[in-house]
Amino acid sequence: MIETTVFAMQVLLLVMGCLFFAVGTLGLFRFSDTLSRIHALTKVDNLGLGFIVLALLPLAPSLAGGLKTVLIWAAALAASATSAHLIARAVHVRPEPPEAKESADD
Amino acid sequence: MQPASPVVTFVLRGAALFVVWWALTLGEVSGLGFGAVVAVLVAWLSLRLFPPSGFRLRPLGLLLFFGYFLSRSVVAGLDVARRLLSPALPVHPGEIILTLRLPEGSPRWLLANTLSLMPGTLSALLEGDQLTLHCLDTRDPVERDVRETERQVGRVFGLTFDHARGAAL
Repeated sequence: MIETTVFAMQVLLLVMGCLFFAVGTLGLFRFSDTLSRIHALTKVDNLGLGFIVLALLPLAPSLAGGLKTVLIWAAALAASATSAHLIARAVHVRPEPPEAKESADD
Repeated sequence: MQPASPVVTFVLRGAALFVVWWALTLGEVSGLGFGAVVAVLVAWLSLRLFPPSGFRLRPLGLLLFFGYFLSRSVVAGLDVARRLLSPALPVHPGEIILTLRLPEGSPRWLLANTLSLMPGTLSALLEGDQLTLHCLDTRDPVERDVRETERQVGRVFGLTFDHARGAAL
């Protein structure tokens, strides 16, 4: 009984994680400027990966294995925050020319 | 504030690195000896590259910060997802510049990185105590949220703020 409940929760969390990743990618298409796109990718993907990590935790072979899975999430978070900031700073220092946005739509 | 003693910092960093090694190798016993050597060497190198600063992590503050961070991460993800899935795409992007109350160094760095993962904010430029934030919706009470995050980050380092004067005590 408990096993079935855990399995159902895992499936639910995995599906939610994948849905959030899909929504994050949708942000790349729906938002028109670089900075808003980064908002979508960092925040929604962070949540999606969080759900997937939660779903995988009951499958961890040991305490060390579970900690390793959580470390993957932490490393992805640090990388995503850092790269988001670097791209945002680059755009802030040298803003995108408006005509570049126009031609991207062609 | 007095910087922590190098010996204490060395032991704490070495221990943390060893735990990471233990997790990465899935607790493999045969690798622990090698891991201990690597942890000591990396801890020594980290002292050369990043000498101990005057800021010390507070375990309780750190724990409360994790709770705050996790709950706000969920809000942040849901917030962007809701906007993206809404046909009208309700966003109102813009930038705001804030004067930070946190002192130079690790606290400001942690705040800037955290804000990039918090709802509606993205750190664009950190110059001195001036932080430029890109906001997904400038109609939201962004500053109030940022001040709360700042308070949470301050607590990680045992810093509190005098709200009347807006300066770190």
